[in-house]
This record gives sequence, C-alpha cells and structure tokens, in this order.
Amino acid sequence: MARIGVFICHCGTNIAGTVDIGRVVEAAGQMPMVVHAADNKYNCSEPGQALIRDAIAEHRLSRVVIAACSPRMHENTFRKTVAAAGLNPYLLEMANLREHCSWVHSDGKEAATTKAIELIRMAVSKVARHEKLFPKQVSLTKRALVIGGGISGIQAALDIANSGYKVVLVEREPTIGGRMAQLDKTFPTLDCSSCILTPKMVDVAQHANITLLTSAEVKEVKGFVGNFEVSIVQKARKVDHAKCTGCGICWQKCPEKAPSEFDMGLGKRSAIYIPFPQAVPPKPVIDTANCRYHKHLRFVEEKREGKPPPQCRVCEKLCPVGAIDWEQKDEVLTEKFGAIIVATGYKAFEPAVYAELGYGKHPDVITGLEMERMMSASGPAGGDVTRPSNGEHPRDVVFLTCIGSRDEQRGRTYCSKVCCMYIAKHAIILKEHYPDVQCYVFYMDVRAVSKDYEEFYKRAQESGAIYIRGKVSGIRQEDGRLVVRGEDTLLGEMVEIPADMVVLAVGMEHSPGSAELAQALKVSYDINELFIEAHPKLRPVETMSDGVFVAGACVGPRDIPESVASGSAAAAKVAALFSQEFLTTDPMVASVDQMKCGGCLLCTKVCPFKAIDTQVLRDGRTVAVVNESLCKGCGLCVATCRFGAANLRGFTQQQLLAEVTSLWQ
Amino acid sequence: MSTIVVSPFKEAIDAVVEAGGKALKQCYQCGLCTGTCPWNLVKSFPTRKLIHQSQLGAADFESEDTWTCATCRACVARCPRGVAIIDIMKALRGVIVGMGAGYVPDGLRVTLKNIAGTGNPLGESAEKRTDWAKDLEIAPFTSDTEVLYFSCCIPAYDPNIKRVARATAAILKKAGVSFGMLGPRESCCGESVRKAGNESLFQTLAQSNISAFVERGVKKIVVSSPHCYHTFKNEYPELGSSFEVTHLTQYLAGLIREERLKPKKELNLKVTYHDPCYLGRHNSVYDEPREILTKIPGLDLVEMAECRENSLCCGGGGSRIWQETKKGERLSDLRLDQAVATGASVLSTACPYCMLNFEDSILTSNKGDMIKLKEISELVLEAL
Amino acid sequence: MAIDFEPRIVGFLCNWCSYAGADMAGTARICYPSNIRVIRVPCSARIDPLLVVKAFQLGADGVLVAGCHPGDCHYTEGNYYSRRRFALLYPFLEYLGIEKGRLRLEWVSASEGRKFSHVVSSFTEGLVSLGPREKVPAEGALP
Repeated sequence: MARIGVFICHCGTNIAGTVDIGRVVEAAGQMPMVVHAADNKYNCSEPGQALIRDAIAEHRLSRVVIAACSPRMHENTFRKTVAAAGLNPYLLEMANLREHCSWVHSDGKEAATTKAIELIRMAVSKVARHEKLFPKQVSLTKRALVIGGGISGIQAALDIANSGYKVVLVEREPTIGGRMAQLDKTFPTLDCSSCILTPKMVDVAQHANITLLTSAEVKEVKGFVGNFEVSIVQKARKVDHAKCTGCGICWQKCPEKAPSEFDMGLGKRSAIYIPFPQAVPPKPVIDTANCRYHKHLRFVEEKREGKPPPQCRVCEKLCPVGAIDWEQKDEVLTEKFGAIIVATGYKAFEPAVYAELGYGKHPDVITGLEMERMMSASGPAGGDVTRPSNGEHPRDVVFLTCIGSRDEQRGRTYCSKVCCMYIAKHAIILKEHYPDVQCYVFYMDVRAVSKDYEEFYKRAQESGAIYIRGKVSGIRQEDGRLVVRGEDTLLGEMVEIPADMVVLAVGMEHSPGSAELAQALKVSYDINELFIEAHPKLRPVETMSDGVFVAGACVGPRDIPESVASGSAAAAKVAALFSQEFLTTDPMVASVDQMKCGGCLLCTKVCPFKAIDTQVLRDGRTVAVVNESLCKGCGLCVATCRFGAANLRGFTQQQLLAEVTSLWQ
Repeated sequence: MSTIVVSPFKEAIDAVVEAGGKALKQCYQCGLCTGTCPWNLVKSFPTRKLIHQSQLGAADFESEDTWTCATCRACVARCPRGVAIIDIMKALRGVIVGMGAGYVPDGLRVTLKNIAGTGNPLGESAEKRTDWAKDLEIAPFTSDTEVLYFSCCIPAYDPNIKRVARATAAILKKAGVSFGMLGPRESCCGESVRKAGNESLFQTLAQSNISAFVERGVKKIVVSSPHCYHTFKNEYPELGSSFEVTHLTQYLAGLIREERLKPKKELNLKVTYHDPCYLGRHNSVYDEPREILTKIPGLDLVEMAECRENSLCCGGGGSRIWQETKKGERLSDLRLDQAVATGASVLSTACPYCMLNFEDSILTSNKGDMIKLKEISELVLEAL
Repeated sequence: MAIDFEPRIVGFLCNWCSYAGADMAGTARICYPSNIRVIRVPCSARIDPLLVVKAFQLGADGVLVAGCHPGDCHYTEGNYYSRRRFALLYPFLEYLGIEKGRLRLEWVSASEGRKFSHVVSSFTEGLVSLGPREKVPAEGALP
C-alpha cells in the first residue's frame, strides 16, 4: 500500500493569495493513501526541500505529490529532492496549482480552491500508480562517421580527430574537396579557394585519427546513438591504392579522353584520372564507362557483331608498381560508430528548364560554376575567360540571378543565399582582368547579409557593374551576339542589352540521393530533400535522430564560412557525446507487453522514430519490441495499439484513466 | 511601352560616369533621395529614376527634369550609399551643354549669355558694379586694404537687394574694418554656372576672379553670398587659389565677439531665420547667424519647424534662380508659410538668392503685412 | 437554470506546446473560467480515444484535446495522427448521443497563452449554452 505525502506550496502569495491553503491541506489529508499533507511557504527553497526530505523519512513516504508550480518549471528539482531522501525519483507527481490555477483564477477564490483540491486528487491517483523507473546506461563506440568530404565534412572530421577521437570520412567522389575545390576565388576576401582548401585536404589525408574512404557510399545504417552499425560500399576503382604511388604516368599516357566533371565539361580528362592536380588522395581511378579495355570487355561480353575495339591496357603496361587491378570489385565494409555527421552538401541547379534563357542552346550562356572553372588559373582555360562560341574575350557580360532560386514554378522556393555574392565576385574579377568588360546584373533583391558582404556588393557596383532590377524574360541571338531582354522594374520600361556572354547564377539543390540517405539515417528531410535540424535555431546541427548531426549545405544553402562553422559545431556535439563513458537513456519510454501483443505491428508503422522492432517468439508469434534507445516517449504507439499491449512509462493507460476517474470520486 | 536598348548610349554614360565618378555606380535605388527632395512637395521629380537612367546611360536629355534640381544637398546628406547626386545632376547638364544638344531652359540660356558677355547674370555693365556704394565713401582697394568685400552680383545690381550690400558696407565702416571692392574687376563667382553644366564658363570666371584677386593683393575675402562662399572656399582651390574666405555672418559674429560691433538698440522683434542651403548643408554654418541674431537686444529668435540640417530650400540653388518656376511650384512660397506659422514678424536670411526668392514670394502672395524680409546685415545695422 | 450550470471539462494537453501555452497564460495572468481540469500527456498522439469516452461516461460535459500546431509537433508527426483519430471519434460520440460541441480539438503553441485562455473561455461558454449532458448509458447497456 502506497504511503503518499502531499506538499502544498504557498509560493509566497502566488498560490496562497488565491487558493485557501488550509482547506486544501485538509482535503489532501483525507485523500486515499495520503498519510501526510503539509503546506510550505516555498517548496523549492532549500529549507522547503529539507522539510520534504524530512517528512519522507519521518512518515516513511513511498510516493510524493508536490502541489506547486508547473512541472515544466520544477519537476527536475523535486525529482532530485525525493532522490536525496532515498526514493526513486520517478515516484513523484506535480499538481500545477500556480500557472494552471491561482494565476488564472484570481477572480474566484472558492472556485480556485475547489480546482486546486481536484488537481491534487488527480495527482494523488496518478502517483499511486507510478512505478520505479531506472535510466539505462549504454556503452558507446567513440568513433565518428562523417559522410561527405566537402569543406564542411573536412572541417568536422579534422575537429573530431583533433579532439582525440577516430573518424572515418566517406566521400562519394574519387577526391575530397567538394564544391569549394571547384571555385576560383572566394567572396568577400577574394582569396584563392584552393589555396585555403588544399592544406586542409592534405591534413585529412595525413591525420592519424582519420580514415579516408573515397569513391565510397553509405548503404545501410542500423543501431542508435552510441552504437550505429553502418555498411559502406567501397566502389571498385580498378586501381590498388595500397600499391599506387600516384606517379601520374597512367593518366598522362591514357589515350582515351572524356569530359571532366570537375571542370564542368569545359575540359577533358583521361579515362584513368585524378579529378584535379591537388586531389586527395592523389591516386587515380578508372572510369570504366570510358576506359578502352572495358569497352572491349563489354563488346566481347555482349557478343556484339564486328571487330572489337582494341584492348589498350596502356596504364597496366606502364604502371611501375603493378597497381592496376582489373579484377577489383565493389566491396562492402561494415563499421561501428557512435555518432554520424551528414555533410553531403549541394549540387548546382540545372538551368535547362528555363527554355527562354537558352542554356544548352546558346553556347555563350553559361552557369556560375562554369564561370568559376573558366576563371580558375588551374582550370581548363588557364584563367582566360572567353566566349565558348568563338573564343573571343567578351565585352558585355550579363548576369542573371535567382536561376532556380525563389521560383516555385521551375525551381526551388528558397533563396540560395550565395548567388548574389558570387555574381558580385565574378563582376569584380572580370573587370580586374579585362578592364573593357561591362557587367550588367539582373537582380530581384541583392542579399548581402554576412560580414563584409554589403561592402563587397558596393565594390562590385564601384567596379562598374550596372545593377538592373528585374528578371530576364528572354535571350535571343542576333548578329553573333546575345540580346538579353527584360523589364527594368525601377524604370518601368523594357530594356535590351546586347551581350557577348550571359552567366546564370544557378542556385543550390540537395545533393543526389539525399532522401535515401535521410531515410537510412531516420533523419527527416523537407520537400526540397534538405535535411531538417532538431530545431532551426536552438539545435541547428542536431537532428531528431539522436547521434546523427548535420553540417553544411545539406541542411540548406550555406556559404563557406557557415559550412565551416556548422562542421565545427557538429564536431563539438560529437566530442561532447564521446566525452561520456556511458549514455543514459530516458526511462519514460514505451514498452510492449508481449503476452498481449497481437502482432498487427501497426505500432512499427506509425512510430516516427522507427523505434519499434519485431521479434519472433519461441511460440512462433511475431511481436513488437521497443528499442528503448530510439524511443522518444511520445506515446503514439499506445494510442494506436488495439490490444492494449503498448504502454508508456510515466504516462501509462492506468495512470491517465485514474486521473480522469479521480475527478468523479 | 518603349524599349531601352542599353548600349548605344555608352558614350553619354561614359561622360556622366566620368563626371559623376564612382558615386553614380554605387546607387542601390532605395529612393530616399526622391522622398527627401523638396520638389516632390510641389510636383513629381523622380530623383532615383534619374540616377538609374544615368547608370544605364539612358537619361532623357530632352526632359525638364534635368534642370529641376536646386542642389540643396538634402538628398546627398541622407544618401545611405553616399552618392554625390548633385555631381550627377551637374554632369548630366554638362553632357547637354557640352554636346550642344538637348533642352536648356530659356531663362538660363539668356543668363549664361549675360554672364559670358558682362561677367554678371543681369547683363549690366561691369563698370556699374559698385554703383551701389557711390555715396558711401568707401576707400578704393589697395594692397593695404585688409578685407575684400565681395558682394555677389545680386546685391551689386538688383535694385531690391542692393540694400544688403549697403547695410554690410555701413556695418563694416562702423566697426572700423579696412575693406574695399574691386569694382569692374569682379565677375560672377560662377558657382551656379558650374551647376548649370557650363564648366568652361566657370573656369573662365574663376580664372578671371583669381587673377584679379592676386593682382590686387587680396588675402581675405568677406562674401555676402553662400554661393560665392562655397565656390571660393571649396572649388577655387582646385585652380590653385588660397585666399581666406569668410561668410559675412561668420565675420560679423567675430566682430561682435571681439566687441568691435556692439548691437545696443532694442529691436523688439520676433525673427525667424532661414538657413541657406549653401551656408548650412553645404558648409555647416548654422550657429554664427543665430549667434548674431541672439546678440541683438530685444530680438526674439524663433525657429521654423524645419531648420538647420532639415531646412527647406528656397528653390534658388543650382541655377534655378535664373529659371522660371511656375506659381504653385515655388518652394520659397512653402518656406514663407513656415516662417509665417512661427508668428515671427521678420524672416531673416543670409543669401542673396534666398532674398530674391522670398522678396518675390512675399510680393506675389500678398503677405507683406504679415512678415518682412530682412537680411541679417540689415538687422545688425538697425541695432547699432 | 443554464445560468448556474458549471460544466465539468477535462483537458488533455501535450507537454511541449499546449501545456506550455497554458503555463504561458498563467505567467501572463490571463484569466479564464476554472471549469477545466488538465491532464498532461507527452503528445496529443498519446491520447487514447478511450480516455475521452471514459471522461464522457463518467459525466464530463466537455473534453478539450490540444496539441502543437500541424508541422510543429515535438515528435514530428504525432499531431497529424491525433487530427485523423479525433475526426473519426466525432461520429462515434454522436452515436452515443454526445453533441459535437462537447469535444474540441485545438492547436495551441507554447507562446499562445492568450489563445489557450480564449479557447477555454469560449469552450466553457459553448458548454454552458449546450446545458447539462444526458447521461451516457452504463457499460453494457449501450444499444
């Protein structure tokens, strides 16, 4: 038989001013199982807590009701109080006499007192059905997985590694570096992108705590915070990187050329290649779609007619260390991790949907990223910006912003954040390199919101770029030039600009496969396939899936400083997680009574956290079983269960029914 | 809707950009200038649009708007991007004048012709420049004369405004200041000529004045007009001049401080003071005129709702004084109403252009019995 | 007679939004009728319709169910389930002879103290004008 103590708080006059405490104490004392009812000026004060502790000992109380303020305010305080008196901290219930009663019914003392008594009766009937609950301790693997080797992932990996923990960095492409490696210069400082990025890439390769897996993808994620089990596919490179020294003979001698992805197709690479000279690792992969030997093999395999293409195998013949491995196959590695950081970044918007702009039709209409490669001194043109149609330097260059951004019709709803600035950068650099260039920028709003950005925009204007407010409605070819037509909304008149080149400021999109990865990680993603943070303001690098963090542009458009900052922030979260010896789980989670479970498994389908697994019992029945590490305690399964098998600790069906019933006793 | 094809105007744009400098490019089209511009109290004057058209090289050179700006500097003082809007207006006018094409207001054409011919906007003979002082027995200017009093053409020739020059000379004499004039050697300062886009005429006038000053050994110049003050002080040094330039209000305030002048007579007047744009916003002289007025016994100085940095322009700057402004669009009429609203019996100011405009406003609006117009020198003289 | 009628209301509030919103009404001292008795649940999705039916069976004049605004659920999607679940409960209550106006589903965020107060006030008023409820037949005596 429970021995319940009820402690009624005056909260100065906050409660006592409206509620007749004397009557409440008297009524509480007569409630079933209540062996002690007392009032207290301030329950939460140290003397108040001491009185509670003493009363627990003196009256051998087994459960406690605190009738005071909101449990959202002081539930933890009083859990500690009862724990200090030797009770299980979960054998406590609070009745909210202040926020829900005295403060809102100050006009009726009688009614407020009646309500206060009923609130206590509800709490008493609930606490009588409380059980001892014990948080569980789970061990954790202090090893992190970072998915994505762009600047954000690089930063996260380095920070975790420097905190003394092991990191595996998985990158889908043959090199790390991501989009930042493709950029020429960075705004607003105009420092060379690769000059600041490549040292970090090298740090990753050389760090003792970092294992780098390139040409690799995450396939499957099992487990939960502290104990994830992740399957990673290491794609066949056809080159044994353990043997390869990166001497470069193979890619220099390879006779087959293909458009370079890194150079946005503006340049060529060989079929065995490293994406760019500073690639990390500096070791090649064979692109089997273009490799002559593989073409030969496919020809033979498919039993096509005619003469098969030559076998080639030049790389194999020339490789001084015998690193070419035609037999290499995709491999699946299964690794354990305690935390995962997703930093999969973005891909540039494909502008062909804007038919009126003629991307793909007019060779002189290019994207911002193509302009980056053109401008880059290490790019295919050696930094010389020319018109793709005739190789001449452009004189009039028109930039169009918001291509794919802020466009519900053909693009994305959101602002891509970086375009205004990279356009300004292009305009400044073009003017510096070619003083007769005249740049025009069609814009809708110029968004220059970070440190030194507004000044950078002003600098672009100063350099001579003319900003015209409006969206371009068409580009036509005329006498070998492009005529860009749009409304100047500030003049209210149509303008036409004869141009040599048009640069589309394409926005950012989720990187391909984001949704699949999010599903594997049980992380939510939005309609744009961008990952959703646990809280957009207060928990920006956490997700609703414990132990999975997000960094960089996979969450939404971000520039380099923000990507770096979020990478570091996510790393700090991982380091904080790994600083614990054990993980403590909240015991107020769901459970399934296997005797009652009918095996409909509806609960497994509705659970937002995929926290309910199935289990086949010895009698052959399949039943639901709650993974307590994943359960967040929402109780959806309890209300869903048609057998009454699911229950939620701390808010059991019996407890809630008792609360309702107590109102009519 | 017409279509502007941007590039054929490249030559014009280059000229404006060159003249307007970086300022033109920096405009981000917020429209604060349009909202600030006093013309928009009486008619539509799309300042922002003009700037943007200039950025595109698509300015309409046939438009009256090019000649509207009174260069009062209210917009420049507030522009968040620091765009030198006055310089751009000046450059636009310069393109028209320089190319000899486009619209130039008739009144302005005549005046510029007068100045080019006679050295003054009224087309009067240079010989008559100091006729206003004939009976005042002022010693001719020699190299020993301490101060050159440069009256400005309006007080020198205009029958209504001559009283300003006469009052000033009388005060200087009473204070025992050694001063003189250069007579026919003086020309229009050229400030408004430059704002009208006629840079070459400005250069001629400035050179002529500078050489006269140098030849005659002028070191210190006291001017009645804030326009002369502005150009002597801020623009002539571009041509190598280095004279000490003082506005009359600054000079008189100094004389009073040194007690060389002692306003003793009680005037028992309620006076309001209008800040001339070229004294106030262009040169930050706000305190000295007020200092003088408050030193006059019995004078009750009251401020208009808009004063100092926010003062409303009379509409006479930037060569507007030589152009016809339609009734109903005259800023001086609005300003006069503000002055009357203070309950003052005297509107005082310190600029010949403002004097001309307010004289006209008082006359045409029949407010002569409500308020009198007096230049600061007149009030000082009355109090001596 | 309706004037003196004091309806008994059971309120199920989700911990993260609506319970916090009710706390907010308290902190801001926004008064409302004292007829409601609040039961705290982690999420509106935890509210088994059985609890609502039980309250009516025992004699509740009204039941308020409140959760986070759609899209704001602390558990990402619990309130969507509640919305559908209670949409289905209405016809059942009607079958039991319980008028539609006696069960109210609301979205109240943690910052909407004023809204919470308004919801309770208007709900109470509505129940007063509906008047006392016909007794629900005892268990087993349902038609």
